[in-house]
Amino acid sequence: MSQEYDITLKISRYDPDTGRSWIQDYHLKAGRILRFVDLFRQINDEQDPTLAWSSSCEHAQCGTCGMKINGKPLLACELLVKNAVELFETHTFRVEPLTIAPVIRDLVVDLEKAYDRIHLVKPYLIAPAPPHPDGDEYRISPRVLKTYEEATRCINCFCCSTACVTTQRNYLGPNAMLANIVRIMDPRETAEKERLDVLHGENGTPRCRTARACSFVCPKEIDIAHFIALAKEGAFRRSL
Amino acid sequence: MRSIKLASELKIDSVLKPEVLVIGAGGAGLRCAAEICERRPGTSIIAVTKVHSPQKSHTSTAQGGMAAVDPKDPIDRIVYHMFDTWKGSDCSADQNIIKAVCESAWEQIVWLERHGMHFSRTEEGRIAKRPFGGHMLNFGQVKAFRSCYEADRTGKGIMDTVWGESLKHGVVFLNQSVATELLFRNGRCVGAVVLMEQNGKFVAILAKATVMATGGKTRMYQVSTNCRQNTGDGLCLILQAGLPVMDLEAVQFHPTGIVGPGILASEALRGEGGILRNKDEEPFMERYAPTAKDLAPRDVVSRCIMTEIREGRGCVHPDHKLPHVWLDLRHLPEYIHKTRILEVCGFFRKFVGVEPRHELCPVTPTAHYQMGGAPTNEFGEVQKDARQIVPGLYACGEFAAATLHGHNRLGTNSLLELITMGKVVGERVTAYIEHAENPGDIPKDAGSRIFSRFSGYLEANGQEHYAKIRDALRVLMMDKVGVFRNEKGLTEAIEELKMLKDRARRLELSSRSLVMNQDLIQFWELDHLLDISMVIAQSALARKESRGAHYREDYPERSPEFHYHTLAYMTDCGNITLDKRDIDMSIFEAKGEHYEKFGIIERKY
Ligand SMILES: Cc1cc2nc3c(=O)[nH]c(=O)nc-3n(C[C@H](O)[C@H](O)[C@H](O)COP(=O)(O)OP(=O)(O)OC[C@H]3O[C@@H](n4cnc5c(N)ncnc54)[C@H](O)[C@@H]3O)c2cc1C
Ligand code: SF4
Repeated sequence: MSQEYDITLKISRYDPDTGRSWIQDYHLKAGRILRFVDLFRQINDEQDPTLAWSSSCEHAQCGTCGMKINGKPLLACELLVKNAVELFETHTFRVEPLTIAPVIRDLVVDLEKAYDRIHLVKPYLIAPAPPHPDGDEYRISPRVLKTYEEATRCINCFCCSTACVTTQRNYLGPNAMLANIVRIMDPRETAEKERLDVLHGENGTPRCRTARACSFVCPKEIDIAHFIALAKEGAFRRSL
Repeated sequence: MRSIKLASELKIDSVLKPEVLVIGAGGAGLRCAAEICERRPGTSIIAVTKVHSPQKSHTSTAQGGMAAVDPKDPIDRIVYHMFDTWKGSDCSADQNIIKAVCESAWEQIVWLERHGMHFSRTEEGRIAKRPFGGHMLNFGQVKAFRSCYEADRTGKGIMDTVWGESLKHGVVFLNQSVATELLFRNGRCVGAVVLMEQNGKFVAILAKATVMATGGKTRMYQVSTNCRQNTGDGLCLILQAGLPVMDLEAVQFHPTGIVGPGILASEALRGEGGILRNKDEEPFMERYAPTAKDLAPRDVVSRCIMTEIREGRGCVHPDHKLPHVWLDLRHLPEYIHKTRILEVCGFFRKFVGVEPRHELCPVTPTAHYQMGGAPTNEFGEVQKDARQIVPGLYACGEFAAATLHGHNRLGTNSLLELITMGKVVGERVTAYIEHAENPGDIPKDAGSRIFSRFSGYLEANGQEHYAKIRDALRVLMMDKVGVFRNEKGLTEAIEELKMLKDRARRLELSSRSLVMNQDLIQFWELDHLLDISMVIAQSALARKESRGAHYREDYPERSPEFHYHTLAYMTDCGNITLDKRDIDMSIFEAKGEHYEKFGIIERKY
């Protein structure tokens, strides 16, 4: 029947009211297929209601519960206890907030600050091409769409940015790069020059060291490094 | 930082004065904001959201698609879409809304596409369309290809597009902030009090027009597809202001939630040939619906699953300890698994550790959607009774009941409602703020209602346990106010809800900080869940018939006597006043072509 594990979570805590930071250990019995978000809820319910953490959809579609577990940035809603035990070969897990933005409390980071990077690349059509003469939608062949469709799946969980070796200050970060690249490859966008300037500007491609950590951690399995490589080569095919 | 000692320290910290306040930055709220910006560039708009970024709103999780009849389609017609919606609603949608939404559907799809949404495409490069439950040609004859989609992430496509447009036009976002009280002056809504969780400050936002679009509310059910934030806050703000809510008894249960977390396993799985089986692996839908079988409408399939479970032919999940049946996908060809249902099957792998190619998948009905909400007219103006509106207050999206869905919603009609009604409200608000007076200074009693609530939480010191009350509520609602309802169960539920409400007054807070205090916010949300559950139960008790998703075992048929919308007022929990609103039958009454299809018709599939 259902198996239980004895789990220890070593969670980074931060109290904004006193400015104190510490690591707190929680011991719990956890079912095989509980998700890490369920473990946090269990801690809130049974041990410590003050532990703060974020989530929303809890099935890997919104990218709110990104955090570092044993050093790996991932979505806590996607990690089942049994998989974590197999993956990290331990029953003790170090749980830390993403390092991409300041911590508000415990595991909750100020994602709004992280989003500033996305805003810089303007995640919309800056200057849409004139509409199709028929008056309805643009025509985009499935083959053209396919060249960048993968990149549209990004949910801005910032796991890649956290993993990226150079991200912290000056680099836009893998996901902001991706958001820009999508619109460069999107045949409906005409503001190509503005976009390329940002892409290759001082916070763009020159900062990437091709370590590929981004592709390695992406929960959506997007090959971000592939798109950044395309960008470096200037190898975008565009046609409506 | 903001840790407070005494409840009397609660105060309004600052005042903001945009022209428009949008409460809820999901698909509906931001489609509305984008419309205002396009029509009247430079309008100052503040949009408030409970999540970290608008992009994290629940709209982003919608998978299937958005219904719209393409005028270039040689066989589909708008009147068929209108008919399907009317029939699906079990004759309780409003026909003026059906007409407005279905007629503007394609135009709104094109709007999204021109603003950059990444729709899936046909070989010719046009927007691709697929069939979806309940959408048919020729008044219910054969399935229609009417659902426009972006792979299995249509909601995300919409969300990214309207969020992008709002950013482009300079809408200001207050993220991780909760609207806690609506503000009024002489009956006109002039804004709201908002708590910004990241710094613990209360801000009064005074605006000429306030748009509410806070989405759904089904977190009071044990198994639910809804996100953690869907706790009915918006509806409670409406109730606390003495305004009515409509048709709350109509809660849609999706038949196939993944047992445990309740995650939606799309209808597409059955569309591709998936079969429901009971504990003995019998394909039981053949017994209940010999023709439609596994593809019968959502409410019908949910009831069949619950019947199997009740009669002892369900299973119990060893980990989650919840009853369920099986969804069998093992016989589907490898290419279907690989291409068409990869992502959804991934949910079974990821969240319950099951491999759908070789193993049976555990599913159970899951609370999914609220058909009811804040009553509005066809312009999204919130109503204070069956006839009059509240000046300055608007609503759209799942939060609003205009109503397109009546007592049962068709798949893909909700996303459509967000963008069509979002636009209508944007248009209306633009016209209103052009001549409306400024909201003036902050009303004297601003904050008094929320501060007295918060004082209650801060001062309470009982022995009750938050999680126990929350869990008891969820089980109660699932058992007695769920897929099946009857007088005895509903009456018991109302009594138990009163007791739970009482217990919730004896909780003790773990911390008195106002900054990102999850405990405090959860107490506040629990109050909302209890209040809304009370309205659902009372409205369900009063509707002594079965209609759409509202099913009474003691009154299994639809009855002409209940051909109206339920309006419910409740300023303090349990003290409910019920009223009625007419169902709009304007298509039928206009006596145009095919009007007879829009009378009181049978709902048979
Ligand atoms: C898993 C799933 C799949 C679905 N698939 C489909 C589909 O294929 N087709 C279809 O038509 N429909 C589908 N639906 C339904 C549809 O997605 C929703 O009805 C719709 O997205 C709701 O949009 P909204 O803009 O009204 O609300 P939401 O997107 O939920 O946005 C609500 C906003 O209000 C904010 N908010 C809430 N409370 C407060 C508060 N107190 N203060 C401030 N802000 C607040 C939230 O943070 C959020 O920003 C699906 C639903 C689910 C759950
Ligand atoms: S690219 Fe992947 S890891 Fe990076 S933000 Fe997007 S979804 Fe997350």
